[in-house]
Amino acid sequence: MRKTLLLLLAVAVAAISGCNQSSKAPSGGNVTPTPAARQITIAFLPKSKGNAYFVSCAKGAQKADDELGDRLIIDGPTDPDPARQNEIVENWITLGVDVIAASCENKEGISTALRKAEAKGIKVVTYDADALPDARSFFVNQATPQGIGFALMDEAARLCGTNGEFAVITGSLTAENQTEWRKFVEERRAAAYPDMKCVAVEACDDLKDKAQSETTALLSTYPDLKLILSTTSLGVPGAAEAIKQAGKTGTVKNIGLGLPNENKRYVHDGVTQGVILWKTADLGYLTVYAADALAKGALKPGDKTFKAGSLGEFEIQGDNIMLGKPFTFNQDNIDQFDF
Amino acid sequence: MNTDQHGYKSILLRHETILFVVLAVEWIFFDAVGHNFGTYDNTCDILRHSCEIGLLALAMTPVILTGGIDLSVGSLLGLCAILFGKFWRDAGMPLPLAAACTIGVGALAGGLNASLIAWLRLPPLIVTLGTFSLFRGLAEAITHGVDTFTDFPASFLFLGQERWLGIPAQALVFIAAVIFFWLLVHRTTFGRSFRAIGFSPEGARYAGIPVGRRMAMVYVLAGIVSAIAAIIYTARLGQAKADAGTGYELFAITAVVLGGTSIFGGVGSVHGTLLGVAAIAVLHSGIAHALLPGEMAGMLTGVLLILALAGSTLPKMISGLRARKSTPRLAKQIP
Amino acid sequence: MKKYFREISVAAALGILLLALAVFAPSFFQPQPLLSLVTREAPTLVVACGMALVIICRQIDISVGSQFAVCSVCAGLFAAMHWPLVLVLAASVLIGAAFGAFNGALVAGLGLPSIVVTLATMVTWREGLRWLRQGVWVDLPNGVQWFGLPQMTGQWTLVLVALAILILLALALKHFAIGRFIYAVGSDAEAARLAGIRPRLMTFGVFVFMGALTGLAAMMNTIQSPQVDPNSGTGLELKTIAAVVVGGVAISGGRGKLWGVFAGLLLLACISPALTHLHVEAYWEKVIQGAIILLAVVTDGLRNRRKSI
Repeated sequence: MRKTLLLLLAVAVAAISGCNQSSKAPSGGNVTPTPAARQITIAFLPKSKGNAYFVSCAKGAQKADDELGDRLIIDGPTDPDPARQNEIVENWITLGVDVIAASCENKEGISTALRKAEAKGIKVVTYDADALPDARSFFVNQATPQGIGFALMDEAARLCGTNGEFAVITGSLTAENQTEWRKFVEERRAAAYPDMKCVAVEACDDLKDKAQSETTALLSTYPDLKLILSTTSLGVPGAAEAIKQAGKTGTVKNIGLGLPNENKRYVHDGVTQGVILWKTADLGYLTVYAADALAKGALKPGDKTFKAGSLGEFEIQGDNIMLGKPFTFNQDNIDQFDF
Repeated sequence: MNTDQHGYKSILLRHETILFVVLAVEWIFFDAVGHNFGTYDNTCDILRHSCEIGLLALAMTPVILTGGIDLSVGSLLGLCAILFGKFWRDAGMPLPLAAACTIGVGALAGGLNASLIAWLRLPPLIVTLGTFSLFRGLAEAITHGVDTFTDFPASFLFLGQERWLGIPAQALVFIAAVIFFWLLVHRTTFGRSFRAIGFSPEGARYAGIPVGRRMAMVYVLAGIVSAIAAIIYTARLGQAKADAGTGYELFAITAVVLGGTSIFGGVGSVHGTLLGVAAIAVLHSGIAHALLPGEMAGMLTGVLLILALAGSTLPKMISGLRARKSTPRLAKQIP
Repeated sequence: MKKYFREISVAAALGILLLALAVFAPSFFQPQPLLSLVTREAPTLVVACGMALVIICRQIDISVGSQFAVCSVCAGLFAAMHWPLVLVLAASVLIGAAFGAFNGALVAGLGLPSIVVTLATMVTWREGLRWLRQGVWVDLPNGVQWFGLPQMTGQWTLVLVALAILILLALALKHFAIGRFIYAVGSDAEAARLAGIRPRLMTFGVFVFMGALTGLAAMMNTIQSPQVDPNSGTGLELKTIAAVVVGGVAISGGRGKLWGVFAGLLLLACISPALTHLHVEAYWEKVIQGAIILLAVVTDGLRNRRKSI
């Protein structure tokens, strides 16, 4: 009796799953099959779901999707496991999406999954943080890592009078794009500002509170410190609060990559001199337009320009679609932006 | 577990059976609601994604059976992954030798846990809390946080990404591990001694079981399995970084407890753990395919865990309440 | 002296660390940064006190980080709606207490193991918060930071509140009956029950109290900056359990002193700034933290072995 029951249960489950044929997604899988104008499915992958930076990118992506009428799936890791992005991409492969737009936490790791997607006929673009070039068709580049690193260092030098000590706050030591930006910051420093010295690099694990305590410690360890530079958007407000509480507003300058909304207060108080970023909503918007065009065949390798809806024309350098240059949000212009 | 009832009721009301039904319901539901969920490709993906956690959960089962716990397996996975990369890239070892050395390191790390827990008789929760930080810290210190190991040869990546004879390559390792652990726990005297130690270490000692050696064995095994999982993880991702395996230990413990193993030890099974791993993996995959928000998977896992726990205790509570109604309550008679 | 060996050894370790810093990095001892450091750790101290009670009672609560995050965000949202701050504080404490009650009901009422119950609630609350907030920060209106007081006053207030809670709880544990009941339930619940104590009610109460303290700590954290990060509280359970264990509270329940927990927390909290001041790379932090935990627990074990011979 017991064996029969178990056997029946097992057979039932096997039968139901056996009913579905193995799906080899044809060129661009079919999620909502409509014969004439098939709706394209775009899968948008941020580095992490709960990050305000990616939330603002996603807003732009949503706006583009509303204009285009495609189906947009946004999903990303909520926990720090670096393998999660791969799993999400692989789920999308079996789901049968048409095009994947990804911001990559692990350059090499995710390329494994992206190559599989391309092999199954799914188009791939990357944005914000690139994968390996052979795993995607285009990279929507908000600014080259070199551009970002140089912009940060130039602004730092301008504020410090091209000499003095500064410290860097990074998100996590394992985040590859931040490591790359730091490399270019150092390269620029060594080439153009040899009188400036980077005394320490601290990781805040992408926690604002930790950035604050790290900065407090840095301020007391290095009394001659002139500037704090953050490569993570969580670092600038945390460092600003620490500088304010230490009473060093104005003495120690604070810059970094950051979102305008999180830093408006500190910029107006004079604690933060400026945050550098790009228009994240535009990045999301451009990415979705590029993904859509790629899936429809309108965007091909070798194109020199790309027109994205209401944003106009964008230059393509090689396989990088350039959003433009990094933008500095400071006291004069930060109120015009809301993200 | 209701062992005092006969016939089909005892099979139907067993924890593992209920979990199997839950798994079947999940599968049928997501197959209907999700897109391309119940396909062969997706099943292979589910297998591949849950392989490392499954291995850790398998190794965790005998640990929890003895009444212990091991919070350090996720961090050890990260440490072994980067050491594997280091042996191969910086020490120039051929991959099989690097793998063997990594497994050796895993055994040593497990040995550290084992010596503190079994020999010095320290509480496993705290010892493994300490090694949880220590191993992750060592991984970060060795790589300075930033170093990553990539460009592994295709023959190695085959293990994590390709299929052999139609099933994912790492599934073979997993199946071998399942057979090993099932035999160990359910068909050897070792397994029986684990349960005895979980019920009562003192009683086991008086019964002649070498408690120290057996407990050491489960932690060393956990270390070895973490190392193997690290190698598979690296093959699957094609990359080894210091943050590999973050959060895996909690996932593994959830799967083990979901499968009916008591956290206090003495009761549990390997097939229960397998069902637990499957239930969670299917849930995650199903939610992704049904295009529901990913956070729901975590929330539902938590709810499932509580229901599973409550489900095990409710029968005892009900029979306890029934018993109390018929016997006079002793407590009130104490002046 | 022997009775308090563990607590004294932790205090000694802390003393040695401070001495080393005084010699090699005297810049550590500037008043303002130290005050900032201690203020930052004040909420953690409050939670650690609650955790000590839970562990003395032979339970554990690994969901405090998620409770903290939810309470912080709720407090921030209420403050942003211009509720009077006293109401916001009360709301935060009540929400924390509600979470604690949920844990307590499952552990004491249904008899489920606390580590698994709190594992489940930790995941559920954390993912639920992420889903609802999607990582968006809460902007606090002016006047919320430091309760509207000047910064120095605000900082000292928070530090003194945390210390007051520590001292009150330590005294209550030592001199009030309820303190002894907690130790009794932690040592041997069955003996306590036969002695007339109600272990299940005590356990339930301890979890509710833990939740309320977490809510209070969340409020203390929220008023320290003009924005609320929904990821605050990450790693709080690890920090507080480590502080409690290093401070001499036995995980098997029934023993431990709060001032040991205080020393343990200070020791662990000083690692990161000490590394910065000593110009040591940041990535050694976890190794040192793990080593301290292991050292603490090994010292315990060696003493126990010597005692049993």
